[in-house]
Amino acid sequence: MTTTTSAPAELNRRTGDDIDLRKVLLTAAGVLILAVMLFPVYWMVNASLQPSGNTLNADLIPLQPSFDNYVRAISEQGANLVTSLIIALGTVVFSLALAAPASFALAQFRFRWVGVALLAILVSQMIPGIVIANALYSAYEGMGLLNSIPGLILANSTSAIPFAILIMRSFMLGVPSAIIEAARVDGAGLVRSFLWIVVPVSRNAIITAGLFTFLFAWSDFLFALTLTTTDEIRPVTLGIYQYLGTQVQNWGAVMATAVLSATPAIVLLVAAQKYIAAGATGGAVK
Amino acid sequence: MSSLTHAPARAGQASPAPPRRRRKLRGDDIAKILFVLPAGIAMALLFGYPVVKNLTMSLQDYSLQTFFTGEAPWVGLANYVDVVTDPIFGQAMLNTGLFTAGSILFQFVIGLALALFFKQHFPLSATLRGLLLLPWLLPLIVSSATWRAILEQDSGILNRFLGVFGVEPIGWLVSPSIALIAVIGVNIWIGIPFNTTLLYSGLQAIPDELYEAGSLDGATHWKAFRYITWPSLRPVVSVVLILGVVYTLKVLDIILGLTGGGPANATQTLATQSYQRSFVDFEFGHGAALSNILIVISMAFAVVYLRRGRHAADE
Amino acid sequence: MKRYMVMAAGGMSAALVLAACSGGGDGADADTGEVSSLSVLDYYNNDPDNSLIQAGLDSCAEELGITLERETVPGGDLIQTVLQQASSQTLPDVLMLDNPEVQLIAETGALLPLDEHGVSTEGFAQGVIDASTYDGHVYGLQPVANTLALFYNTDILAEAGVEPPTTWDELREAAATLTEGDQYGISFSAINTYEGTWQFLPPMWTNGGDETDLTSPEVAEALQLWVDLVESGSASESVINWSQGDAKDQFMAGRAAMMVNGPWNIPAMNEIPDVNWDVVQFPVNDASQTPVAPFGGEAWTVPVTGDEASQAVAVDFVECLNTPEQQLDWAVSRYTIPTRTDLTEDFLAERPEMAAFAEQVANARSRTAQLGPEWPDAATVIYEAIQLALTGQTSADEAFAQASAR
Repeated sequence: MTTTTSAPAELNRRTGDDIDLRKVLLTAAGVLILAVMLFPVYWMVNASLQPSGNTLNADLIPLQPSFDNYVRAISEQGANLVTSLIIALGTVVFSLALAAPASFALAQFRFRWVGVALLAILVSQMIPGIVIANALYSAYEGMGLLNSIPGLILANSTSAIPFAILIMRSFMLGVPSAIIEAARVDGAGLVRSFLWIVVPVSRNAIITAGLFTFLFAWSDFLFALTLTTTDEIRPVTLGIYQYLGTQVQNWGAVMATAVLSATPAIVLLVAAQKYIAAGATGGAVK
Repeated sequence: MSSLTHAPARAGQASPAPPRRRRKLRGDDIAKILFVLPAGIAMALLFGYPVVKNLTMSLQDYSLQTFFTGEAPWVGLANYVDVVTDPIFGQAMLNTGLFTAGSILFQFVIGLALALFFKQHFPLSATLRGLLLLPWLLPLIVSSATWRAILEQDSGILNRFLGVFGVEPIGWLVSPSIALIAVIGVNIWIGIPFNTTLLYSGLQAIPDELYEAGSLDGATHWKAFRYITWPSLRPVVSVVLILGVVYTLKVLDIILGLTGGGPANATQTLATQSYQRSFVDFEFGHGAALSNILIVISMAFAVVYLRRGRHAADE
Repeated sequence: MKRYMVMAAGGMSAALVLAACSGGGDGADADTGEVSSLSVLDYYNNDPDNSLIQAGLDSCAEELGITLERETVPGGDLIQTVLQQASSQTLPDVLMLDNPEVQLIAETGALLPLDEHGVSTEGFAQGVIDASTYDGHVYGLQPVANTLALFYNTDILAEAGVEPPTTWDELREAAATLTEGDQYGISFSAINTYEGTWQFLPPMWTNGGDETDLTSPEVAEALQLWVDLVESGSASESVINWSQGDAKDQFMAGRAAMMVNGPWNIPAMNEIPDVNWDVVQFPVNDASQTPVAPFGGEAWTVPVTGDEASQAVAVDFVECLNTPEQQLDWAVSRYTIPTRTDLTEDFLAERPEMAAFAEQVANARSRTAQLGPEWPDAATVIYEAIQLALTGQTSADEAFAQASAR
């Protein structure tokens, strides 16, 4: 993988000396855009710091923040947070392991039935989640997968696998078949050329698909609700619903839990984003 | 798929392109099948049953009773006739169309603009890009509750902000003529990170050499976008759009969380109607019929997507 | 054999299968020795209700010498969970249902008729029994009930020199007087769900309206009250998107001087001690009327699981949840009204602030008494009519005709 080393060099060349001011302005603009986009998130934080849990009487800045909601969230939702992380990461690994080879095949092999397969994959994305959840419930009941982490990973993968295939395939269409041909001429088998060439070259796509797979699994509520019947296994989304009673809703705790649970996940996502590299394919052809 | 046709030419810049060979390695075919088999089996198992179930349900009188007795008389297309002739169907169709078109248009344009913006690497750009995904980490019930508070007519921060400029309080979620716009706006907000992140990755996959070569020919800025970025990005654009359409058509939680389809049905869509029929009215046959109509509409878009793809590949 | 299949599908223990096949279970006096555990499903998923219910369940479990496997789901998902469990034959031994849904589920044949298993309903408020009765049989027993009444902020009313209203005219007038600046006279929920319907029932029923004839002038007059309150600006236009929780938040934030709401809010309201409030019955249209509000609350039922021994223990369990002691215990701790009418006095001795609700419950009506499983259709027409009228799309007079045309 000498492939990507050229990218930073390119960047350095493009950036001149007098660019510093421009970069500062860009950063400022970026921060401003983010501020607008994330204002609702801020407003949620604000609500979580109000004793009432709502912003009806709130100022723009919580001048007298109350941390009661956080104390409660930390003491009650810590374990659920770990469950959520395990499920989300498990879903990423499982989905990508199945989807990456499939998307490579659908992008590069000239199967006759590629069109049909793609249509089937797209149709799978159209099915309402509740229909799938109900069907899985009956199946899991017999298989003993209710209330289990593997069960939830598998369920979350239902939406993640087709999604990941579509995304990664569209990127892998851009992988020049010349690279693969060349490797095969050098005697590499299909599996080896996939692992050593296609995967590294497509890492942007894989990371991106992984990011969204993580997000889908992280924010899943439907499967968690349908496929668990006890509180042994409880992702944090379901934990949040415990504060939303039928008649009484404790929005303060809901907001605090949401803020709290988003924190470790966002660290993970920011880190993953940094690995999305520039011009990877181009470098590889050299 | 235009990039497929680019590939040999691009490779040609570096080394003489090996002539494309007919695949003749027989043992290879098995290996190739093995690439798709695990995913294929998983999908057949996970989706086969729900799809068939939804289809049969829509042809049955599937009521609350059915869950207990297992009996669901066949009624042919009666469920479809019922839901289509419902007075609210027309409005739900129109709202679904407006909701989808409005959401996709703005999500995509803003998403692409932001992706291009972030492509100019600057300090903190990766971090900011990561933070953009933050809304996706929040359960939809939480973000819709927060938006409800923001859009509240009397105490909401948006009207308070607009009030500074002398704008009269607007009934974002309570005026039948405005509620749909507000709901679309919130959905755009939710969709932007998805579009930005995918399009950004797509931009990153475009080789820098293309731009360098282009700049020698005088293709910069708009021209570079028109002749280099856009064509190279097309496979990603297509998939972002088709997934956007499919996901937007079935959006449910956000609408339920913001307005529940109200006020006075002003924000009912096929998805909310399907939900209402199944889980409020317990007419599961009707609900399934509506969701199948939704699937057929999505499929029309999917076919267009696949056709265009094939066309491009044959070029 | 068929029963055995059901059991196997339910994945229950071999001991229970044996018990079922040996045909134990002879009514309420079943030998509990063979049944060691019951599964329970309810929607009290958040505290304080969650733990208060748990305490009650535990004490009955102890009394019967059994253990419990309790599952709680959020309220909106209860029926769906029940349906899933029904189709996979894994219904719990004891099932809590919101009272207007008891008849709906009983209609499917999924519930055990409790009266046939020796359960007595003597001494219970009639409205509660009506709600749980389908086709002449009682399918659920409801230990405590709630209802709606009018909360008012004592400080705001005293400052404005306004007395709590007893008639609709007084209500309109008080609400108008109390509206100033950020503060509305009254908050209520007119949302497009059954919640909006439920909140409309006090004016509708008090005025003599009836769900069997929604296009009557009495019903239209009740709707006109809601329209007047909103159009005069005494209530926010946002009521059409407010849940009862929102209405309570507005009231507690000092943005509404009065609200229509139920006693389940009281524990949360007590956490904000600087808002002083009191409760009166819902006002009447003319002095000859009696305030009529709907019965709320949940009944405990016994699903037909096919395992007669467990069913028998489950019946005992539901009876235990409805003993006078247990009713009083839950009523006091959960700010609800005991459904055994002779407990009211003892209850008010402990919870004097619940007096208005206790009076209101005395004349309360069950939503499903007249229409039974057809109630949801009427309920949908009602909230749709409210939405049409409050958004100004039709007049209150025509709203119900237009909504029922759908």
